[in-house]
Amino acid sequence: MENGILLQIKDLHAGIEGREILKGVNLTIRRGEIHAVMGPNGAGKSTLSAVLAGKPEYRVTSGSIEFAGHNLLEMTPEERSWAGIFLSFQYPVEIPGVSITNFMKTAVNARRKAAGEPELSAGAFLKLLKEKMAFVQMKPEFAKREVNVGFSGGEKKRNEIFQMAMIDPLFGILDETDSGLDVDALKIVAEGVNALKSPEKAFMIITHYQKLLEYIVPDVVHVLKDGLIVKTGGRDLADRIWQNGFEGIDE
Amino acid sequence: MTLLFIPGIRDESDFEINLNGPGAELDLAGLYLCPSSEDLQIKVKVKHNSGGCLSRQLFKGIVGGRARAGFDGLIYVAQDSQKTKAYQESHSILLSPEARAESRPQLEIYADDVECSHGATTGFLNLDELFYMRSRGIPEAEARRLQMLSFIAPVLSRLDESRQAAVLEQMNAFQL
Repeated sequence: MENGILLQIKDLHAGIEGREILKGVNLTIRRGEIHAVMGPNGAGKSTLSAVLAGKPEYRVTSGSIEFAGHNLLEMTPEERSWAGIFLSFQYPVEIPGVSITNFMKTAVNARRKAAGEPELSAGAFLKLLKEKMAFVQMKPEFAKREVNVGFSGGEKKRNEIFQMAMIDPLFGILDETDSGLDVDALKIVAEGVNALKSPEKAFMIITHYQKLLEYIVPDVVHVLKDGLIVKTGGRDLADRIWQNGFEGIDE
Repeated sequence: MTLLFIPGIRDESDFEINLNGPGAELDLAGLYLCPSSEDLQIKVKVKHNSGGCLSRQLFKGIVGGRARAGFDGLIYVAQDSQKTKAYQESHSILLSPEARAESRPQLEIYADDVECSHGATTGFLNLDELFYMRSRGIPEAEARRLQMLSFIAPVLSRLDESRQAAVLEQMNAFQL
Protein backbone atom coordinates (compact mmCIF):
# COMPACT_ATOMS: atom_id res chain seq x y z
CA MET A 1 0.00 0.00 0.00
CA GLU A 2 1.01 3.61 -0.48
CA ASN A 3 2.84 5.71 2.08
CA GLY A 4 3.66 2.73 4.23
CA ILE A 5 0.03 2.23 5.26
CA LEU A 6 -0.40 -1.11 7.02
CA LEU A 7 -4.03 -0.89 8.11
CA GLN A 8 -6.81 1.20 6.68
CA ILE A 9 -10.28 1.15 8.14
CA LYS A 10 -12.96 3.07 6.24
CA ASP A 11 -16.43 3.91 7.51
CA LEU A 12 -16.66 0.71 9.54
CA HIS A 13 -20.07 -0.17 10.92
CA ALA A 14 -20.18 -3.33 13.03
CA GLY A 15 -21.99 -4.87 15.92
CA ILE A 16 -23.21 -8.00 17.61
CA GLU A 17 -26.65 -9.56 18.02
CA GLY A 18 -28.26 -6.92 15.82
CA ARG A 19 -26.88 -4.05 17.89
CA GLU A 20 -24.64 -1.55 16.06
CA ILE A 21 -21.59 -0.69 18.17
CA LEU A 22 -19.12 0.80 15.68
CA LYS A 23 -20.87 3.57 13.77
CA GLY A 24 -18.46 4.63 11.06
CA VAL A 25 -14.88 4.22 12.26
CA ASN A 26 -12.08 5.59 10.07
CA LEU A 27 -8.52 4.74 11.04
CA THR A 28 -5.20 4.63 9.20
CA ILE A 29 -2.13 3.02 10.72
CA ARG A 30 1.28 3.18 9.05
CA ARG A 31 4.14 0.76 9.45
CA GLY A 32 6.42 1.61 12.34
CA GLU A 33 3.69 3.39 14.29
CA ILE A 34 2.18 2.72 17.67
CA HIS A 35 -1.41 3.85 18.05
CA ALA A 36 -3.31 4.11 21.29
CA VAL A 37 -7.09 3.81 21.33
CA MET A 38 -8.66 5.21 24.46
CA GLY A 39 -12.24 5.67 25.43
CA PRO A 40 -14.82 5.12 28.13
CA ASN A 41 -16.49 1.78 28.81
CA GLY A 42 -18.90 0.74 26.10
CA ALA A 43 -17.29 2.99 23.47
CA GLY A 44 -16.61 0.01 21.18
CA LYS A 45 -12.89 -0.55 21.86
CA SER A 46 -13.18 -4.30 22.33
CA THR A 47 -15.58 -4.56 19.38
CA LEU A 48 -12.94 -2.90 17.21
CA SER A 49 -10.29 -5.42 18.26
CA ALA A 50 -12.71 -8.36 17.87
CA VAL A 51 -13.69 -7.22 14.36
CA LEU A 52 -10.03 -6.82 13.36
CA ALA A 53 -9.23 -10.34 14.56
CA GLY A 54 -12.38 -11.74 12.91
CA LYS A 55 -14.46 -12.94 15.85
CA PRO A 56 -17.32 -14.75 14.07
CA GLU A 57 -20.11 -13.48 16.36
CA TYR A 58 -19.51 -9.91 15.19
CA ARG A 59 -21.17 -8.65 12.01
CA VAL A 60 -19.72 -5.96 9.81
CA THR A 61 -22.64 -4.22 8.12
CA SER A 62 -20.67 -1.75 6.01
CA GLY A 63 -17.24 -0.26 5.45
CA SER A 64 -13.88 -1.80 4.62
CA ILE A 65 -10.67 -2.92 6.27
CA GLU A 66 -7.52 -3.26 4.20
CA PHE A 67 -4.50 -4.84 5.85
CA ALA A 68 -1.12 -5.27 4.13
CA GLY A 69 -2.81 -5.60 0.75
CA HIS A 70 -5.54 -7.96 1.96
CA ASN A 71 -9.27 -7.40 2.18
CA LEU A 72 -9.41 -8.37 5.82
CA LEU A 73 -13.17 -8.80 5.98
CA GLU A 74 -13.01 -11.77 3.59
CA MET A 75 -10.55 -13.66 5.76
CA THR A 76 -11.03 -16.24 8.53
CA PRO A 77 -9.44 -15.58 11.94
CA GLU A 78 -6.59 -17.99 11.16
CA GLU A 79 -5.94 -16.36 7.78
CA ARG A 80 -5.74 -12.98 9.49
CA SER A 81 -3.27 -14.45 11.95
CA TRP A 82 -1.17 -15.83 9.10
CA ALA A 83 -1.26 -12.40 7.44
CA GLY A 84 0.25 -10.93 10.61
CA ILE A 85 -2.54 -9.86 12.93
CA PHE A 86 -2.24 -10.78 16.60
CA LEU A 87 -4.81 -9.97 19.27
CA SER A 88 -3.80 -10.01 22.91
CA PHE A 89 -7.11 -10.86 24.58
CA GLN A 90 -8.62 -8.79 27.35
CA TYR A 91 -9.90 -12.04 28.83
CA PRO A 92 -7.53 -14.85 27.75
CA VAL A 93 -9.29 -18.20 27.44
CA GLU A 94 -8.47 -21.23 29.58
CA ILE A 95 -7.75 -24.48 27.76
CA PRO A 96 -7.67 -27.36 30.27
CA GLY A 97 -5.65 -30.41 29.27
CA VAL A 98 -3.53 -28.53 26.70
CA SER A 99 -0.08 -27.40 27.79
CA ILE A 100 1.42 -24.08 26.72
CA THR A 101 4.11 -26.07 24.91
CA ASN A 102 1.58 -28.16 22.99
CA PHE A 103 -0.57 -25.12 22.20
CA MET A 104 2.32 -23.05 20.92
CA LYS A 105 3.81 -25.94 18.96
CA THR A 106 0.45 -26.42 17.23
CA ALA A 107 0.18 -22.69 16.51
CA VAL A 108 3.77 -22.21 15.32
CA ASN A 109 3.68 -25.23 13.03
CA ALA A 110 0.23 -24.36 11.64
CA ARG A 111 1.59 -20.94 10.75
CA ARG A 112 4.68 -22.43 9.13
CA LYS A 113 2.55 -24.84 7.14
CA ALA A 114 0.37 -21.96 5.93
CA ALA A 115 3.54 -20.16 4.82
CA GLY A 116 4.78 -23.27 2.98
CA GLU A 117 7.60 -23.84 5.47
CA PRO A 118 8.54 -27.17 7.08
CA GLU A 119 7.68 -27.79 10.75
CA LEU A 120 10.23 -26.71 13.32
CA SER A 121 12.29 -29.54 14.77
CA ALA A 122 11.53 -30.33 18.42
CA GLY A 123 14.90 -28.89 19.43
CA ALA A 124 14.50 -25.66 17.49
CA PHE A 125 10.98 -25.20 18.85
CA LEU A 126 12.07 -25.69 22.48
CA LYS A 127 14.92 -23.24 22.01
CA LEU A 128 12.49 -20.62 20.69
CA LEU A 129 10.03 -21.35 23.51
CA LYS A 130 12.68 -20.97 26.21
CA GLU A 131 14.05 -17.81 24.67
CA LYS A 132 10.64 -16.12 24.51
CA MET A 133 9.62 -17.27 27.98
CA ALA A 134 12.79 -15.74 29.36
CA PHE A 135 12.06 -12.60 27.34
CA VAL A 136 8.75 -12.02 29.19
CA GLN A 137 10.22 -13.36 32.47
CA MET A 138 7.88 -16.33 32.56
CA LYS A 139 9.04 -19.14 34.84
CA PRO A 140 10.20 -22.21 32.85
CA GLU A 141 7.68 -24.49 34.63
CA PHE A 142 4.86 -22.64 32.85
CA ALA A 143 5.80 -24.51 29.66
CA LYS A 144 4.05 -27.57 31.08
CA ARG A 145 1.08 -25.73 32.58
CA GLU A 146 -2.34 -25.98 30.97
CA VAL A 147 -3.05 -22.81 28.97
CA ASN A 148 -4.24 -20.10 31.40
CA VAL A 149 -5.71 -22.65 33.85
CA GLY A 150 -5.23 -21.40 37.40
CA PHE A 151 -3.24 -18.39 36.18
CA SER A 152 -3.54 -15.06 37.99
CA GLY A 153 -4.71 -12.07 35.96
CA GLY A 154 -1.13 -10.91 35.53
CA GLU A 155 0.09 -14.37 34.50
CA LYS A 156 -2.61 -14.56 31.82
CA LYS A 157 -1.57 -11.22 30.37
CA ARG A 158 2.07 -12.23 30.47
CA ASN A 159 1.14 -15.39 28.60
CA GLU A 160 -0.50 -13.23 25.91
CA ILE A 161 2.68 -11.19 25.48
CA PHE A 162 4.72 -14.41 25.45
CA GLN A 163 2.53 -15.75 22.63
CA MET A 164 2.86 -12.46 20.79
CA ALA A 165 6.65 -12.74 21.08
CA MET A 166 6.54 -16.34 19.79
CA ILE A 167 4.47 -15.30 16.78
CA ASP A 168 6.17 -11.92 16.19
CA PRO A 169 3.22 -10.36 14.33
CA LEU A 170 3.16 -7.57 11.78
CA PHE A 171 0.34 -5.91 13.71
CA GLY A 172 -0.19 -6.46 17.42
CA ILE A 173 -3.43 -5.41 19.09
CA LEU A 174 -3.32 -5.19 22.87
CA ASP A 175 -6.89 -5.15 24.18
CA GLU A 176 -6.64 -3.73 27.68
CA THR A 177 -3.60 -5.86 28.34
CA ASP A 178 -2.73 -3.39 31.10
CA SER A 179 -5.91 -3.75 33.15
CA GLY A 180 -5.27 -5.39 36.49
CA LEU A 181 -1.48 -5.31 36.13
CA ASP A 182 0.96 -3.91 38.66
CA VAL A 183 3.79 -1.65 37.55
CA ASP A 184 6.32 -4.49 37.20
CA ALA A 185 3.97 -6.45 34.95
CA LEU A 186 3.20 -3.28 32.96
CA LYS A 187 6.90 -2.82 32.34
CA ILE A 188 7.22 -6.38 31.04
CA VAL A 189 4.33 -5.80 28.62
CA ALA A 190 5.90 -2.52 27.51
CA GLU A 191 9.35 -4.06 27.09
CA GLY A 192 7.73 -6.77 24.98
CA VAL A 193 6.10 -4.28 22.65
CA ASN A 194 9.15 -2.03 22.49
CA ALA A 195 11.43 -4.98 21.67
CA LEU A 196 9.10 -6.30 18.96
CA LYS A 197 8.50 -2.99 17.25
CA SER A 198 10.26 -2.34 13.96
CA PRO A 199 9.85 -0.12 10.88
CA GLU A 200 7.70 -2.81 9.20
CA LYS A 201 5.33 -3.43 12.09
CA ALA A 202 2.66 -1.53 13.99
CA PHE A 203 0.76 -1.84 17.25
CA MET A 204 -2.61 -0.78 18.53
CA ILE A 205 -2.81 -0.33 22.29
CA ILE A 206 -6.35 -0.27 23.61
CA THR A 207 -6.45 1.12 27.10
CA HIS A 208 -8.46 2.93 29.73
CA TYR A 209 -5.43 4.28 31.45
CA GLN A 210 -2.52 6.45 30.50
CA LYS A 211 -0.13 4.47 32.71
CA LEU A 212 0.96 1.94 30.07
CA LEU A 213 1.54 4.83 27.66
CA GLU A 214 4.32 6.09 29.92
CA TYR A 215 6.25 2.96 28.97
CA ILE A 216 5.02 2.47 25.41
CA VAL A 217 5.10 5.88 23.79
CA PRO A 218 2.35 6.10 21.15
CA ASP A 219 2.81 8.04 17.94
CA VAL A 220 -0.92 8.63 17.62
CA VAL A 221 -3.71 8.64 20.19
CA HIS A 222 -7.38 8.16 19.26
CA VAL A 223 -10.42 8.64 21.41
CA LEU A 224 -13.27 6.27 20.65
CA LYS A 225 -16.67 7.27 21.97
CA ASP A 226 -20.11 5.90 21.15
CA GLY A 227 -18.70 3.90 18.25
CA LEU A 228 -16.87 6.78 16.59
CA ILE A 229 -13.34 8.15 16.72
CA VAL A 230 -14.07 11.60 18.03
CA LYS A 231 -10.52 12.87 18.43
CA THR A 232 -7.07 12.01 17.12
CA GLY A 233 -3.90 13.58 18.39
CA GLY A 234 -0.39 13.06 19.60
CA ARG A 235 0.79 11.65 22.85
CA ASP A 236 -0.24 14.78 24.76
CA LEU A 237 -3.89 13.83 24.11
CA ALA A 238 -3.44 10.86 26.45
CA ASP A 239 -2.10 13.17 29.16
CA ARG A 240 -5.03 15.53 28.74
CA ILE A 241 -7.49 12.65 29.05
CA TRP A 242 -5.71 11.48 32.17
CA GLN A 243 -6.10 14.91 33.76
CA ASN A 244 -9.60 15.82 32.56
CA GLY A 245 -11.29 12.52 31.70
CA PHE A 246 -13.16 11.78 28.49
CA GLU A 247 -15.83 14.42 29.04
CA GLY A 248 -15.62 17.26 26.57
CA ILE A 249 -12.79 15.65 24.61
CA ASP A 250 -14.80 15.71 21.37
CA GLU A 251 -15.84 19.32 21.72
CA MET B 1 -9.90 -49.16 35.17
CA THR B 2 -10.62 -47.23 32.00
CA LEU B 3 -13.28 -48.22 29.47
CA LEU B 4 -12.89 -47.16 25.85
CA PHE B 5 -15.72 -47.20 23.33
CA ILE B 6 -14.39 -46.62 19.86
CA PRO B 7 -15.99 -45.34 16.65
CA GLY B 8 -18.29 -47.77 14.88
CA ILE B 9 -19.79 -49.21 18.03
CA ARG B 10 -23.46 -50.21 18.13
CA ASP B 11 -23.91 -51.87 21.42
CA GLU B 12 -25.36 -51.95 24.86
CA SER B 13 -22.67 -52.42 27.47
CA ASP B 14 -23.60 -53.42 30.98
CA PHE B 15 -21.20 -53.29 33.87
CA GLU B 16 -21.83 -54.16 37.46
CA ILE B 17 -19.10 -53.57 39.97
CA ASN B 18 -19.51 -54.79 43.53
CA LEU B 19 -17.51 -53.33 46.38
CA ASN B 20 -17.77 -56.18 48.87
CA GLY B 21 -14.86 -55.74 51.24
CA PRO B 22 -14.72 -52.93 53.80
CA GLY B 23 -12.64 -50.00 52.49
CA ALA B 24 -12.53 -51.22 48.90
CA GLU B 25 -11.83 -48.58 46.27
CA LEU B 26 -12.90 -48.19 42.66
CA ASP B 27 -11.43 -45.70 40.25
CA LEU B 28 -13.34 -46.02 36.99
CA ALA B 29 -13.22 -43.85 33.88
CA GLY B 30 -14.71 -44.19 30.46
CA LEU B 31 -14.38 -42.57 27.09
CA TYR B 32 -16.79 -42.95 24.19
CA LEU B 33 -16.09 -41.66 20.71
CA CYS B 34 -19.15 -41.69 18.48
CA PRO B 35 -18.43 -39.68 15.34
CA SER B 36 -21.11 -40.77 12.86
CA SER B 37 -23.86 -43.34 13.28
CA GLU B 38 -22.98 -45.12 16.52
CA ASP B 39 -25.67 -46.28 18.88
CA LEU B 40 -24.25 -46.86 22.30
CA GLN B 41 -25.82 -47.44 25.68
CA ILE B 42 -23.48 -47.66 28.63
CA LYS B 43 -24.96 -48.97 31.84
CA VAL B 44 -22.82 -48.91 34.92
CA LYS B 45 -23.94 -50.15 38.29
CA VAL B 46 -21.60 -49.57 41.20
CA LYS B 47 -22.75 -51.35 44.34
CA HIS B 48 -21.38 -50.41 47.74
CA ASN B 49 -22.15 -53.61 49.64
CA SER B 50 -19.73 -52.88 52.43
CA GLY B 51 -18.94 -49.85 54.57
CA GLY B 52 -16.12 -47.34 54.13
CA CYS B 53 -15.69 -47.93 50.40
CA LEU B 54 -14.78 -45.26 47.87
CA SER B 55 -15.85 -45.14 44.25
CA ARG B 56 -14.99 -42.55 41.65
CA GLN B 57 -16.35 -42.52 38.12
CA LEU B 58 -15.54 -40.18 35.26
CA PHE B 59 -17.13 -40.67 31.84
CA LYS B 60 -16.53 -38.46 28.84
CA GLY B 61 -18.00 -38.74 25.39
CA ILE B 62 -17.90 -36.95 22.06
CA VAL B 63 -20.92 -37.50 19.86
CA GLY B 64 -21.20 -36.30 16.27
CA GLY B 65 -23.04 -37.04 13.04
CA ARG B 66 -26.28 -38.87 13.79
CA ALA B 67 -24.81 -40.91 16.61
CA ARG B 68 -26.60 -41.64 19.86
CA ALA B 69 -25.00 -42.27 23.19
CA GLY B 70 -26.58 -42.89 26.52
CA PHE B 71 -25.03 -43.28 29.91
CA ASP B 72 -26.94 -44.81 32.81
CA GLY B 73 -25.02 -44.70 36.02
CA LEU B 74 -26.43 -46.20 39.16
CA ILE B 75 -24.76 -45.87 42.51
CA TYR B 76 -26.23 -48.31 45.02
CA VAL B 77 -25.39 -48.07 48.70
CA ALA B 78 -26.62 -50.91 50.93
CA GLN B 79 -28.17 -50.24 54.32
CA ASP B 80 -25.10 -51.15 56.35
CA SER B 81 -22.59 -49.47 54.06
CA GLN B 82 -21.93 -46.49 56.30
CA LYS B 83 -19.08 -44.06 55.55
CA THR B 84 -19.49 -44.69 51.84
CA LYS B 85 -18.00 -42.19 49.46
CA ALA B 86 -19.24 -42.33 45.88
CA TYR B 87 -18.71 -39.82 43.12
CA GLN B 88 -19.80 -39.92 39.53
CA GLU B 89 -19.31 -37.49 36.67
CA SER B 90 -20.56 -37.86 33.14
CA HIS B 91 -19.94 -35.24 30.47
CA SER B 92 -20.55 -35.23 26.78
CA ILE B 93 -19.96 -32.90 23.86
CA LEU B 94 -22.26 -32.79 20.85
CA LEU B 95 -20.69 -31.97 17.50
CA SER B 96 -23.76 -31.85 15.30
CA PRO B 97 -27.43 -30.86 15.60
CA GLU B 98 -28.49 -34.46 14.95
CA ALA B 99 -26.25 -36.07 17.54
CA ARG B 100 -27.88 -37.16 20.81
CA ALA B 101 -26.37 -37.79 24.18
CA GLU B 102 -28.15 -38.52 27.40
CA SER B 103 -26.88 -39.02 30.90
CA ARG B 104 -29.09 -40.61 33.50
CA PRO B 105 -27.40 -40.66 36.87
CA GLN B 106 -29.23 -42.53 39.62
CA LEU B 107 -28.58 -42.86 43.31
CA GLU B 108 -30.09 -45.65 45.36
CA ILE B 109 -28.98 -45.14 48.92
CA TYR B 110 -30.11 -47.06 51.99
CA ALA B 111 -27.42 -46.01 54.45
CA ASP B 112 -27.55 -42.61 56.18
CA ASP B 113 -23.88 -41.72 56.72
CA VAL B 114 -22.69 -41.38 53.14
CA GLU B 115 -21.10 -38.83 50.83
CA CYS B 116 -22.37 -39.17 47.28
CA SER B 117 -22.40 -36.80 44.34
CA HIS B 118 -23.04 -36.91 40.65
CA GLY B 119 -22.73 -34.39 37.88
CA ALA B 120 -23.81 -34.65 34.28
CA THR B 121 -23.45 -32.15 31.45
CA THR B 122 -24.06 -32.15 27.73
CA GLY B 123 -22.66 -29.26 25.76
CA PHE B 124 -20.95 -28.01 22.65
CA LEU B 125 -17.39 -27.00 21.87
CA ASN B 126 -16.79 -23.56 23.37
CA LEU B 127 -16.82 -20.77 20.76
CA ASP B 128 -14.53 -18.41 22.68
CA GLU B 129 -11.96 -21.16 23.01
CA LEU B 130 -12.25 -21.89 19.29
CA PHE B 131 -11.73 -18.22 18.38
CA TYR B 132 -8.77 -17.93 20.75
CA MET B 133 -7.04 -20.85 19.04
CA ARG B 134 -7.82 -19.61 15.53
CA SER B 135 -6.55 -16.13 16.40
CA ARG B 136 -3.17 -17.77 17.01
CA GLY B 137 -3.21 -19.19 13.50
CA ILE B 138 -4.52 -22.68 14.27
CA PRO B 139 -6.92 -23.67 11.45
CA GLU B 140 -10.51 -24.30 12.49
CA ALA B 141 -10.44 -28.09 12.01
CA GLU B 142 -7.22 -28.42 13.99
CA ALA B 143 -8.57 -26.12 16.68
CA ARG B 144 -11.65 -28.33 17.05
CA ARG B 145 -9.43 -31.36 17.34
CA LEU B 146 -7.42 -29.61 20.04
CA GLN B 147 -10.66 -28.72 21.84
CA MET B 148 -11.70 -32.35 21.78
CA LEU B 149 -8.32 -33.37 23.16
CA SER B 150 -8.74 -30.76 25.88
CA PHE B 151 -12.13 -32.24 26.73
CA ILE B 152 -10.98 -35.87 26.92
CA ALA B 153 -7.61 -35.09 28.54
CA PRO B 154 -8.64 -36.20 32.07
CA VAL B 155 -9.44 -39.69 30.76
CA LEU B 156 -6.71 -39.83 28.11
CA SER B 157 -4.02 -39.05 30.68
CA ARG B 158 -4.86 -42.28 32.53
CA LEU B 159 -3.73 -44.40 29.58
CA ASP B 160 -0.22 -45.51 28.69
CA GLU B 161 1.45 -43.97 25.66
CA SER B 162 0.57 -46.66 23.16
CA ARG B 163 -3.10 -46.59 24.11
CA GLN B 164 -3.10 -42.80 24.01
CA ALA B 165 -1.73 -43.01 20.47
CA ALA B 166 -4.44 -45.51 19.57
CA VAL B 167 -7.15 -43.17 20.89
CA LEU B 168 -5.66 -40.23 18.95
CA GLU B 169 -5.76 -42.41 15.84
CA GLN B 170 -9.45 -43.12 16.46
CA MET B 171 -10.10 -39.37 16.83
CA ASN B 172 -9.42 -39.05 13.09
CA ALA B 173 -12.86 -40.57 12.53
CA PHE B 174 -14.42 -37.24 13.49
CA GLN B 175 -15.36 -35.04 10.55
CA LEU B 176 -14.13 -31.58 11.37
